[in-house]
Amino acid sequence: MVAVPDMDSLVNPQQRQFNPYTENGGTILAIAGADFTVIAGDTRQSEGYSIQTRYAPKVFRLTDKAVLAVNGFAADGNMFVKKVKQRLEWYRHAHAKDMPLRAIARLIQTMLYARRFFPFYVYNILGGIEDDGTGAVYSFDPVGSYERETCRAAGAAQSLVQPFLDNQIYFKNQLAAPGMSHPTHLPLPDVLSIVIDSFTSATERHIEVGDGLEMYVVLAKGRGLGGMEAIGGVQELSERTEGERLFVVRRELKKD
Amino acid sequence: MSIMEYNGGSVIAMVGKNCVAVASDLRLGNQALTVATNFEKVFPITDRIYLGMSGLATDVTTLRETFRYRVNMYTIKEERDIEPEAFAHLVSSTLYERRFGPFFIEPVIAGLSKTSSGAFRPYIAGADLIGCLNFAKDFVVAGTASEKMFGVAEGLWEPDLEPEDLFETISQTLLNSVDRDAYSGWGAIVHVITPEQVITRTLKARMD
Amino acid sequence: MATDGGAYSYSLTVFSPSGKLVQIEHALAAVSQGTTSLGIKASNGIVIATEKKSSSILIDDSMIDKVSVICPNIGIVYSGMGPDFRVLVAKARKSAQAYWKMYGEYPPTKVLTQEIATVMQQATQSGGVRPYGVSLLVAGWDDNRGPSLYQVDPSGSYWAWKASAIGKNMINAKTFLEKRYNDDISLEDAIHTALLTLKEGFEGQMTEKTIEIGVVTVPSPAEIDAEKTAGPNVRPKPTFRKLSEEEVRDYLAL
Repeated sequence: MVAVPDMDSLVNPQQRQFNPYTENGGTILAIAGADFTVIAGDTRQSEGYSIQTRYAPKVFRLTDKAVLAVNGFAADGNMFVKKVKQRLEWYRHAHAKDMPLRAIARLIQTMLYARRFFPFYVYNILGGIEDDGTGAVYSFDPVGSYERETCRAAGAAQSLVQPFLDNQIYFKNQLAAPGMSHPTHLPLPDVLSIVIDSFTSATERHIEVGDGLEMYVVLAKGRGLGGMEAIGGVQELSERTEGERLFVVRRELKKD
Repeated sequence: MSIMEYNGGSVIAMVGKNCVAVASDLRLGNQALTVATNFEKVFPITDRIYLGMSGLATDVTTLRETFRYRVNMYTIKEERDIEPEAFAHLVSSTLYERRFGPFFIEPVIAGLSKTSSGAFRPYIAGADLIGCLNFAKDFVVAGTASEKMFGVAEGLWEPDLEPEDLFETISQTLLNSVDRDAYSGWGAIVHVITPEQVITRTLKARMD
Repeated sequence: MATDGGAYSYSLTVFSPSGKLVQIEHALAAVSQGTTSLGIKASNGIVIATEKKSSSILIDDSMIDKVSVICPNIGIVYSGMGPDFRVLVAKARKSAQAYWKMYGEYPPTKVLTQEIATVMQQATQSGGVRPYGVSLLVAGWDDNRGPSLYQVDPSGSYWAWKASAIGKNMINAKTFLEKRYNDDISLEDAIHTALLTLKEGFEGQMTEKTIEIGVVTVPSPAEIDAEKTAGPNVRPKPTFRKLSEEEVRDYLAL
């Protein structure tokens, strides 16, 4: 038998494309207080309508005063966190100290823009404590535009959560009582409740959000535990108690 | 370009304790261009039923007249006001009549339904553009800011809100949602229906 | 030429000089030859009943339905021509289902009565048809008006009654009902009164085979509210039902 070439493939030009990106769902969120920051994310990882795993962390400790949440394409996110951590280690070797938060923010911009034409398909939210001891949140787009904010939600349920935060954190559309003004920062227990409410709401209405919640809490140097005691399931991650202190709170979210 | 987003706009309804509330923004747009800032999307049907419609503005106006016609015919024929349950089915049937060439609107219905004891029970319902009814117990949303409203309402709403608290809850939900939606906003109007009266308030909002 | 209507008796769209549509009068004559039917509104329900007469003992009379369910809250009975009645039953059932499709609930008795009356009226004004040779008693319950009893005639006229009779013995039966009726009669008493009234002009033996009864019952406030909050997968609990032969036999025995 003589092999007959497939006429179609010879006559008509064929094109095939590899799509290097996918979306893995989930949502992240960070809120800065006066002397603390909460950085949170759910732990569901999905592709389309399938749940790949119920526990895939999206929030990572970078230093004792910096936490990075990554959301979007999980593979890119994990690789990006790995590269940031590597750069921070080099910095430690060169300078014998942890990189300041604002410097990490600028580093992330540089790293993201370096891939301007083949981006990491990831939305980053960096949270932690600045050198002046204030809580800070930096939010990024995939190619490195960034700004410092008090709060930010990103990911699948951003559109559900962000207007809620506008209302509850920035007091948007609310008038202060006569002679009073709205606080610029909320106390830690209030922030934790708002984070939990945001994720339970997002879980209720968004199929890509749920399973587990990880909330990282960074406390400024010398700040007491004020507001942490009442919370159950707290685990301390910081090695020293004299500097900034880092905690993680894990909670269950609905799994349906 | 989605026809559902051609004119923009959002509506929402919520259940309270012996009361319901329904609200809409006031923007009428032509895609990104704002054409009018007084386009109400909620209409009285009876003394105790209000209908909100978001979507294609021409269909909102047409259906408002269609429902006025059909409810007037019902009222005359039956010598009584239509109840929210029957009206919700009327809305559903009217939309399904155009199953394969639909009106591009999503309705929300809010009303008080008479019980056999003479008391009133809060009733809300939503539907898609071909009339698939959604009988929610808490709130229904529709329009270009619907995702946002789902998120905020899920965080703010609680059971058994009194009329004034319900007003605050629905207003905050709508306002903060439309402020994050370029296609909605430019003011809002809220109706709170109680057994005694309907409280209607126009809200001052961001105009951008 | 017809005997009394003269030239006006065939074309039913033409009035006679005296202002009558004689075909309608003929239809009423057909009704008054039909077996007696009656309805009584009680304080807690309605009964409609009729006599079922077969022309031969060879006919299987279990097949014949003279009291018909239109929808879960409405039933009707007739006097006059059986085939005409069945056409009206089919139209009434269609109308009730169309109403359900539009509003998610069954029509109030008055609305359904009006629909039937409109159909019957149209047969007095359309070309190529004759009026329906039946009078109807429509009994039903609804949220708005409670239990109600209507009579519809071949002309399309309809009235609400507390008690009425149609068919062969209607004059006597109505006189009998007038004497017996009071406003706070119970449904049980009304059923017995109905049987007694039928007995007055009954030819032959009254048995569960020769009597048909339908009753409207009034649901409790709790049942009404449960109905409203029930989802679309819950069938409405009927407020109109026909009595079984066993039930009719028991009432006759008392």
